Amino acid sequence: MRAIFKREFNSYFTSLLGYVFLTIFLLLTGAMFTIVNVFQYQTANMTYFFASINNIAVFFLPLLTMRLFSEDRKLKTDQLLMTAPVSVRDIVLGKFFAAVCVLLIGTAITIIYPIILMFFGELPIAETISCYVGFVLLCSVILSIGAFMSSVTESQIVAAVSTYGIIIFMMLLSTLAQLISNEAVSGALLWLSPIQRFSDFSLGIFDFEPIIYYLTVTGLFLFLTMTVFEKRRLR
Amino acid sequence: MITVSNLTKKYGNKTALSNVSFDVQDGEILGFLGPNGAGKSTTMNIITGYISYTEGSVKIDGFDILENPVEVKKRIGYLPEIPPLYLDMTVSEYLKFVYELKKVETDSSEKHMQDIINLVGINDVKNRKIGNLSKGYRQRVGLAGALTGDPEVLILDEPTVGLDPKQIIEIRNVIKELGKKKTIILSSHILSEISAVCDRVIIINNGKLIAEDTPLNLAHKLGDSHRMVFKVSGSADMAENILKSFGGVSEVIRISSDGDIHEFEFDTTMDSSERKQLFFKFAENEIPILEQRETEVSLEDIFLKLTKEERNESNI
Repeated sequence: MRAIFKREFNSYFTSLLGYVFLTIFLLLTGAMFTIVNVFQYQTANMTYFFASINNIAVFFLPLLTMRLFSEDRKLKTDQLLMTAPVSVRDIVLGKFFAAVCVLLIGTAITIIYPIILMFFGELPIAETISCYVGFVLLCSVILSIGAFMSSVTESQIVAAVSTYGIIIFMMLLSTLAQLISNEAVSGALLWLSPIQRFSDFSLGIFDFEPIIYYLTVTGLFLFLTMTVFEKRRLR
Repeated sequence: MITVSNLTKKYGNKTALSNVSFDVQDGEILGFLGPNGAGKSTTMNIITGYISYTEGSVKIDGFDILENPVEVKKRIGYLPEIPPLYLDMTVSEYLKFVYELKKVETDSSEKHMQDIINLVGINDVKNRKIGNLSKGYRQRVGLAGALTGDPEVLILDEPTVGLDPKQIIEIRNVIKELGKKKTIILSSHILSEISAVCDRVIIINNGKLIAEDTPLNLAHKLGDSHRMVFKVSGSADMAENILKSFGGVSEVIRISSDGDIHEFEFDTTMDSSERKQLFFKFAENEIPILEQRETEVSLEDIFLKLTKEERNESNI
């Protein structure tokens, strides 16, 4: 798994992809930070920042995952991976963690913002930490969906676009829930929506339910990705 | 070393391989001959564990590919038809990655890789990006990847495709050298390549094994018939009649005529005394033979012959 992780991680930075992602990510979070925290609310509370960043950041994540598996299939390098003495699990996890790591680098740089805020106001530490945890978990859900989509197709474009499709669907879930009068149905829809789940974190309460929910969904899509590999072999 | 028994592979309704069985002994070089789409790559992909099979079994060194995939894969170096190269890496980075991926354990990874780099002759490009290399060099880098970790079994799918004649000879020599210590399966659709390198040949067509023998025996099996080309000067009809009057000559075709110079092609099983008579007969009729040569037995001929035999047998 280490070899695959290392190669995948390095490939983000031998190609432009890693730099492009980090540039867009930092530009966007920086702009949002300035607009939301500095001008609009003039507050040291990062919750507003995360509430607005979530809906936008998810659209850049497929950049990281679109070529994870599809490129291997296209270049036939999957033949190297699949005939090497490594398990499918190692291949999938190695690649997934490489994508997560690039995201973590971007997220780590944004810690500058709360540090700046600490000088000018009272930063709610607990809320900020739980927001960061929630953000990374939400992003890993999106990355695992992107990884799964990348494993079912040879085309990076198809992988990215279909991931966008799922993200949009997830965002619509909460809008849809508001339109439905039946409480049980709308409640279930809200419960399912990963983006809605994030609100639990912004309160600064460390609840295990949303954490387990995010980890389960991530695990589910990674498992599906492994299944795709196995199925293709049996085809 | 390698035991393949009753291997069958179906893609939906299409049967890609049907009931293929063969063994490869320790240290043997086995040639896999067949036209494109015959099932060569499918067989190799199954042996290396890239795809699964419908029925049968594959064992490497006693380990079953489904029960012990990791043990099997440790023992195999595979060069697929399209070398599996990451184009954004340099040659040394790539080999280092393969080294780590295969979890190779040697005293010094640097030395191990340098030995392989020298063996396949890519020392002068080792710091270049694979994406910038020519087809021939990419093929060699792929071969270097397969050799990484010093596996006991090498499976090479058309290793000389796309190389120039000089490179082909070099790669062939490398393979021959490797064959002294390793078990190798080599596929090709070029007959001369297989007979130059291999100890034993398997011919496969439409997913079925149609022949299995040494290159020499295979040539014998095809009979002692040779395909000859004669270039003569004089009357075309008379020359044709002379040829046809000999019992050992069959399938006479006039290939070309240019003025009074004609070219004929025919199968012959004549011994030397009959050949002398043929020469004098042409001389008597004042038809000088300008040129005569034997055409190489092509893969097509073998196929035609073998598939014909197969059909005849099934008729009986």
